[in-house]
Amino acid sequence: MKRITMLLILIGLVLLVSLPVFAGGQNEAEAPAEETAVMEEGVGPTNSNPLSDLRVRQAIAYAIDMDTIAETMFDGMVLPATGRVPDGPMKAPGLNRYAYDPDKSRALLKAANWDPNYKLDLGYYYGDQMTVDLMTAIQAYLSDVGIKMSFRKLEGDVGAQLNSVPTDPANGPSAVEIDLGYGGHAALALQEYFNVYKTGKSAQYPSDPKMDALIDAINATADPVELKKALFEIEKYEVDNLAAYSLYYMPMFVYESIDLNRNGEIYGNPQYNYDWNIQNWTMKPESNGKMVLQTNGGPIEFFQNPWENPGIWISNKVLYDRLIACDGALTPTHGQMADYELSSDGMTLKFTMKDGVKWHDGAAVTVDDVQFSIEKIILAPTAHKVLLSTFNSIKGAEEFIAGTADHISGINTDGNTITIEMAKLDPNILLTFTQFAILPEKYLADADPLKMLQSPFFQHPVGSGPYKIGKVEMNDYLVMVPNEDYYDGVPKIDEIQCYPSFDSDPNVVKNATAGILDYGFSKNPSEVSSLRALDNIKLETVDVPYTRILWFYQYPKK
Amino acid sequence: MNGTKKKITRLEKKFDRILMREDTGLIKKKKGSRAFRKLMSNRLAVAGIIIVSVILLAAVFAPLICRYDPLKLDLRNKLQKPSIVHLLGTDQLGRDIFARIVYGGRVSILVGMGSALTSAVVGVAIGAYTGYKGGLLDNIMLRLSEIVMAFPQIILVLLLVTIMGQGLRNLIIIFTLTGWGGIYRMTRAQMLSLREEEYVQALRAFGLNSFAIAYKHMLPNAVGPIVVNITLSTAMFILYEAALSFLGLGVPLNISTWGNIVNIAQDLRYLQFFWWLWVPGAIVISLFVLGVNFIGDGLRDSADPMQQG
Amino acid sequence: MLTYTLRRLLILIPMLLFLSFLIYLGLELTPGDAVSYMISPERYATMDPAELEAVREALGLSDPFLIRYVKWLGGVIKGDFGYSLQSGVPIKDIVFDRLPATLELSAGAILISTIFGIFFGTISALKRGSIGDNALTLAGMLGVSVPRFIFGLLAILLFTFHLKWLPVGGRLRPGYEGFMDRLPHLIMPTLVLSSTLIAGVMRYSRASMLDAMNRDFMKTARSKGLPEWRVNFVHGLRVSLIPVIVLIAFRLPILLGGTVIIEQVFQWPGIGNEFIGAVRSRNYPIVMMIAFFTTFAVLFVSFLIDLFTALLDPRVKLD
Repeated sequence: MKRITMLLILIGLVLLVSLPVFAGGQNEAEAPAEETAVMEEGVGPTNSNPLSDLRVRQAIAYAIDMDTIAETMFDGMVLPATGRVPDGPMKAPGLNRYAYDPDKSRALLKAANWDPNYKLDLGYYYGDQMTVDLMTAIQAYLSDVGIKMSFRKLEGDVGAQLNSVPTDPANGPSAVEIDLGYGGHAALALQEYFNVYKTGKSAQYPSDPKMDALIDAINATADPVELKKALFEIEKYEVDNLAAYSLYYMPMFVYESIDLNRNGEIYGNPQYNYDWNIQNWTMKPESNGKMVLQTNGGPIEFFQNPWENPGIWISNKVLYDRLIACDGALTPTHGQMADYELSSDGMTLKFTMKDGVKWHDGAAVTVDDVQFSIEKIILAPTAHKVLLSTFNSIKGAEEFIAGTADHISGINTDGNTITIEMAKLDPNILLTFTQFAILPEKYLADADPLKMLQSPFFQHPVGSGPYKIGKVEMNDYLVMVPNEDYYDGVPKIDEIQCYPSFDSDPNVVKNATAGILDYGFSKNPSEVSSLRALDNIKLETVDVPYTRILWFYQYPKK
Repeated sequence: MNGTKKKITRLEKKFDRILMREDTGLIKKKKGSRAFRKLMSNRLAVAGIIIVSVILLAAVFAPLICRYDPLKLDLRNKLQKPSIVHLLGTDQLGRDIFARIVYGGRVSILVGMGSALTSAVVGVAIGAYTGYKGGLLDNIMLRLSEIVMAFPQIILVLLLVTIMGQGLRNLIIIFTLTGWGGIYRMTRAQMLSLREEEYVQALRAFGLNSFAIAYKHMLPNAVGPIVVNITLSTAMFILYEAALSFLGLGVPLNISTWGNIVNIAQDLRYLQFFWWLWVPGAIVISLFVLGVNFIGDGLRDSADPMQQG
Repeated sequence: MLTYTLRRLLILIPMLLFLSFLIYLGLELTPGDAVSYMISPERYATMDPAELEAVREALGLSDPFLIRYVKWLGGVIKGDFGYSLQSGVPIKDIVFDRLPATLELSAGAILISTIFGIFFGTISALKRGSIGDNALTLAGMLGVSVPRFIFGLLAILLFTFHLKWLPVGGRLRPGYEGFMDRLPHLIMPTLVLSSTLIAGVMRYSRASMLDAMNRDFMKTARSKGLPEWRVNFVHGLRVSLIPVIVLIAFRLPILLGGTVIIEQVFQWPGIGNEFIGAVRSRNYPIVMMIAFFTTFAVLFVSFLIDLFTALLDPRVKLD
């Protein structure tokens, strides 16, 4: 016994030692990172980080064959990007595509004196297989031109690891560890795409006066023609300068069971609120004659708030209502809960509440509720940036936030009208009110804006939308039933049933196959491929401003 | 003079022993120890040894048996069915699945065996000494192990993964931290019963230090159950690696491991329509764990003459 | 006896204290906190550090580590187990909400695995060496060797998609909340969970039965001329069951954790699911409470088992 156990242990040890030794192929050895970049005028590195050299960034862009990746890995479901803004009227013409050209990439690296032992560290935060596959592919393409790259999923303080801004926005050093980042940017307003480069706001892009000027230009006007001109300029500057490399545009996929009928109502960006008129939808009745719509996004522990991601959760879409309606591309069209009037200079917005708009408890929605909602959410730090930037531009907002005023002086109510006066122009003021859910003052008056979700309200929210809460079994299901008082007509579908899920539901395909998912949306191409194969599901592709990006962290490293 | 005398005694002894063996009819089967023979007569254990050796050798000599680099992408040839070109087909990135499994075995086995061995080293080192010495240290370690073992292991592992982060080395450390308790208690129990043996008392009387007594003289007598435990925990850790991959908390997805390969089955499309992406991996994990369990069982039976069957 | 019991009970207290401190410390060392999870990465990046600090302050996360621990401990002693950082729901409510789901699952699995495990194990032992014994042993080995989530996925593939017999997952459907309505949801997860458990119980009861069969009292019983089945089942099984029962009892609380994977596969809203969610979102109070409770349960059960075996086995001395 003793001899064989000794033998076994010996064999075990030998194998153990040999495994990592032989495990070549899988882990490349760490190489010391040394800077050998030589300064050249104009295109050379601007600091000790090789990524500050435009030629290196270009080499990376040229090395990645996004066309093949989109066609094979994504089954043609995503569109290789040219610049940050998706195709459409706001897209600048003639932007450089950086089409796959490994030879050019190698030449650029040579010109930039790229150190083949320098290893780039890429961080990302998505947990799905597709992302890992994409990273693996990018790693392979980069290694093909002689760039070493390793990637890892960031854990813990993801925001800080990605986006910590250096104390000195001109010279750094970088406040993050990674060299490259991969992530998505979904813009509600196109300005959001570029505002991130503003001096003092970016973890990646060292202060650039020209960029700052271009950013000011896109935020200074609400005039469509001028805005377009300013956007074209900044789009071109971003692409030429490769502040970041936009990889691909991701459409949204709305999936619906064949039993669901929208009766002609429009499709649109499903992550936000648009005029989809769910009250007119119908389902094929069940055997008992009831129309039941089954979907995901039910609450797990509490109802998600409607001010951070205004339209991701179906419960937020149908429980609450908004002042202005917009079309599928989120362009404001007409008044929803209120009629509105925007002065020609864009500085005064006046709402007149429609008659018969009621909370689910029967009380009328008043202008006081609107004022209350603005004054509450302006203090909630997690609110959507577009909402906050509108609210912060209202006259008297600063004093209110600082606590020196009880109310925002720019907001005045009179009977059933409410007037909002702006201190400075906000091009997205109407957009904000298409997404901003009005909340009932009487239930939330005492809630601490810093931890609103802990309010009992979010266990059983009361809104003014077409559906109200029927029954909640946290983490089991949510049933929503028609709001019989809804001013736009009583909804036809008798019940919306939601099973609990986070915003990315891992069980979409399983549940759709099992026939318990009648509506939802996905931005996961692998999920969509599976859904496409199902007979009981129809798919609608919606173009939305959602770009997946490779970020270059260009500050010098610590 | 003295030397010759000794020689004679030794020779005489030898003759005596041979004579005794002849009497009991043992002389013909001289090869290997009793335990080894018993292990070899256990058909399942032999099957286990064969399975495990084949997989182990394949993993160690991966470059010799794989035609493809497990990391080489071929996007245009993704999701190919098994064929002569790709024995087990290609995955969603066009990587050769056979190569991925064979290379993945290196990491999975490293995690499994490595964690089993390190937790055994820790458990035995502590168990042998404190078991022999007793006292306050023994008491503290006993309570500590109770705490570790009281935690449902998967919960503890999850907790530690979030605290320490994902990664190969961290995984082995975590498995060691959560896995040393069992083997520690077993070693300690063995030492407790050995402590009262006469030879130990004798050694103590000779004034040997505790370390020498515990590690050099007592430990070798407790080695049987320890080896059984190492074998069985190897199997357990390989399964844990797979389970953690399933939860997305195992070895980072870009490193091929058996768990990461099989993990693709979570995607219903691959589960239903592209069986070759996950079935071979699932079979290899199960076979390897099965083989290790067979060996462990065989060892247990051969090490413990009390238990028949 | 009384002193033994008391001593064992008293020693639980420092152990639990130490343990809770360890978990708290561990969570403290984890990168990120609840705030960084409550806010999406893109949003988080653009927040003022002062704003973040305000949220932390409001959630009571900005106190020094030790003070928070002492506060937490004080709450627990007073029976106040704290609130979920995200929703403000009392943890007691969350745990009591999830516990029935997990208990349902584990109770079913324990029941099935106990009955079948003991049955197969005993048969196996009585017919040692037969084809049936070998087949059962092999099946048992397979049961512990195939990863559990593979079992689960295969079951879904077979029973939901091919045969269309059982629902894909979840626990309740609106309007169908009686036990009989819930039963179809319960079948697959319970069976998959039992499959691994059966193997363990079977092996244990087989070994234990074999052990019993070699004992002197069996020979005595046989020599008294009792019929073979009576010897085996009345005398043998009764004795061999004790260690098996101990094993099962010991597993009860461990099952709380053991269901983690199954709950994920079948979207089962139990404690395991809750724990994973809380760990991922750094919802400390929930992580603490679940970890603490399960450990307490295990320690307590092991104390009961010790006591029980001590009472049964006259060889174990109590002092």
